[in-house]
Amino acid sequence: MKTVITSMRRNSWVVAVFIIFIVLLLLKISLLPNFGSFQAQTIILTTLAAALLAIAQSIIVITGGIDLSVGAMMVLVNCVSAYLMLDKPFGPVVLIAFLVIGMSVALSALTGWVITTSGVPDIVITLATSFVWTGLAIFILGGPGGGTAPEFQSLLLGPGGFDFWPPLLWLLLPLAFIWLPLRRSRLGLSMYAVGSNRTAAFLAGVSVKKTRIASYAIAGVFTGLAGLVITANTGSGSPRLADGGIATLDSVAAVVLGGVALTGGVGGLLGPILAAFILFLIPSIMLSLGINPSYGESIKGVLVILVVTIGGWLRLRRVKS
Amino acid sequence: MAETVLRAENVAKRYGPVVALRDVSLSVAAGEVHALLGANGAGKSTLVKILTGVIKPDQGTITMDQATVSFATPEQARGAGLVSVFQDPALAPDLTVSQNMRLTGTPVDAFREHMNSFGLGDIALNDQIRDIPLTAQRMIDLARALCFDPKVLLLDEITAALPADLSTKVFEVMAARRESGRSVLFITHRLGEVLEHADRATILRDGTDVEVTSTADTSERQLVTAMVGDLGEEMAATRRVNTENRTVVLRGTNLAAGRGLNDVSLSLHKGEILGVAALDGQGQEELFEVLAGVRRLRAGEVEVNGRRVNLRSPFDAVRRGVAFVPSDRQEALLPLQSVAHNLTAPRHNSVGKWGWINGRKEQMLVEETVEELQIDTRAGSAVSQLSGGNQQKVTIGRWIASGFDVLLTFDPTRGIDARTKQQIYTLLRRLSEEGRSVLFFTSELRELQLMADRVLVIYGGRVVGELTPDEATEQRVLELMHGLSSVGQEN
Repeated sequence: MKTVITSMRRNSWVVAVFIIFIVLLLLKISLLPNFGSFQAQTIILTTLAAALLAIAQSIIVITGGIDLSVGAMMVLVNCVSAYLMLDKPFGPVVLIAFLVIGMSVALSALTGWVITTSGVPDIVITLATSFVWTGLAIFILGGPGGGTAPEFQSLLLGPGGFDFWPPLLWLLLPLAFIWLPLRRSRLGLSMYAVGSNRTAAFLAGVSVKKTRIASYAIAGVFTGLAGLVITANTGSGSPRLADGGIATLDSVAAVVLGGVALTGGVGGLLGPILAAFILFLIPSIMLSLGINPSYGESIKGVLVILVVTIGGWLRLRRVKS
Repeated sequence: MAETVLRAENVAKRYGPVVALRDVSLSVAAGEVHALLGANGAGKSTLVKILTGVIKPDQGTITMDQATVSFATPEQARGAGLVSVFQDPALAPDLTVSQNMRLTGTPVDAFREHMNSFGLGDIALNDQIRDIPLTAQRMIDLARALCFDPKVLLLDEITAALPADLSTKVFEVMAARRESGRSVLFITHRLGEVLEHADRATILRDGTDVEVTSTADTSERQLVTAMVGDLGEEMAATRRVNTENRTVVLRGTNLAAGRGLNDVSLSLHKGEILGVAALDGQGQEELFEVLAGVRRLRAGEVEVNGRRVNLRSPFDAVRRGVAFVPSDRQEALLPLQSVAHNLTAPRHNSVGKWGWINGRKEQMLVEETVEELQIDTRAGSAVSQLSGGNQQKVTIGRWIASGFDVLLTFDPTRGIDARTKQQIYTLLRRLSEEGRSVLFFTSELRELQLMADRVLVIYGGRVVGELTPDEATEQRVLELMHGLSSVGQEN
């Protein structure tokens, strides 16, 4: 019992985010004329890429870095995959999917290598790489275009096209197969240790460089998945600069709202995932209420400030008492 | 002579124009407790970093068990049997104790055993390091190091911030290592500890090993002479201030704050140096923080120069002439800024007309302060590049530059070499002669008799004794610190 209470306390942030999520979700559902598999699919599908990006960002932030190029990388993966998958049968399309995820992992690891080797702060290098990835995306796919196999789309949309569980699965499976084992591994601990105090981790014998590169590489898997989700969902690719930028900023907002400390070492993935949903639900609810959705963006911003301030204030009180 | 386990030969290292190590040799025998001594900037830290694989030497060789080694990381050093407990515990603050152990592949059972033997068995394995006091963190680090049964255990100023009871445990560990034929390389500024617990000592000065001596045939004085070359200026003959007829500058009545500080009343007179002694965590941190405006009072009141004040922030305190030098220098300094900016930062509260800063006046003030305090600024212009002792001078010097009535200083000589300590003693003494008052806490009890005009001992958040310097022998203070007896009961 005591451990349950301690764990609730330690995760009080996530609990709070979860409650906000449930309230907003119920509100959204109550505003819909009817709620079924299709509506659930819409909610999950619209948020899936943002949630995957939030995961990628969290992994890097937990390790003490930050990646301003996750959105651009997602766009690049979307464009490369749509370019290569156009008019291809299902078999090669799946192969291409694996290839582009490999590309995302390799480029992210390269980013991590450049950061750790050059000693230039993460924020500077990844800001620069975000331009590089966007440029590459435009080079490969001059404008909206490309395509994919219908069977590939069914992987995400379900055999009937309106199932809610396949997109949910695409969120949960990578978590179950990558994050859960990672968190229990030495590498996972090292990531938290490096984010918590880089010097202490180094002196304790952790390979700081390898760990940081690994965090970028693992994040690359989730960024790659996010890009593929867009390809499967829209059936095409689109190299729009703004999309990547906004997606990156949303991922940082989700990380902060989800209780991951930007200073590193603190937090998990559940919080940021829920936060990604919250950040989608707010403008969506505004829309249902007939309010101009642009206001929703402002409300989003105010909410981030409120939650982080109140949360920080509560944490401080707990420490003092 | 037993065989040599660890040997460093002709090691040298330079950072740009700054020579950190000129030519150092060191050998540690099996079953020996070996002390490494030297003033700040003598090269101890650099040598430690080289031995443990944190940095690479420019030249020289390290051998362990007659084999030449070159450690690229602390992990490799650990693998070869050289395990270190660094000044700052190598523990990830956001992980729990057990996660930190898993991170380094430390057997938990052995770890628990060591913690129990330190009397720290009540620290739970799933406590976060962040929530554990720094002193206990050091012991955790030590317990972890012992789990690897190192051939050479390197302790880098481990006792600098430990209370007496935990220091004793460290000395027991050192004795046990020697007993089992293992070696300890022990770095400390406390010469008494060296004489008592080490077998031999290597003394560094200006990046060279100037002397290797057996502790049986040396004295503190001789060690200091070796460390500083010629004996630095001696502590001025202790002058006592008669506080009876002096005005009270700072008065605290029934102060209570946080969990630690329960009921402390004190009055600090003009020109007085009032020493505070306490075991770790008896409310002394809270006391200083309350007086400095860092922390809010739970009960009680503070008077400065006879006026009741409500100190809501350090700004309030500074405005009323109360300056605070915290124990953690890093907390007080702007590490990447220049010495000049660090010295003048508090002055910027009261800049001249229109908010302009008078650059020339300030420059003069900085030069005066640097000269007065003998701050060695050769190492670099940014404060982060200065040695610990010089950084500490900057933290005190900034208040001299901006003016104050009361100086609150918490463990001002922690981790500072003998020579700089002397300079700081002399400095505080001189300030009091000029009519400024000093309230200082120290973990080095010897300093009380050297420095203080009056000594307060705190235990359990309350004053348990007030002593004159003559009464404040280490023995007596220790008794009071442990709550063994109070002055009142004795009489």
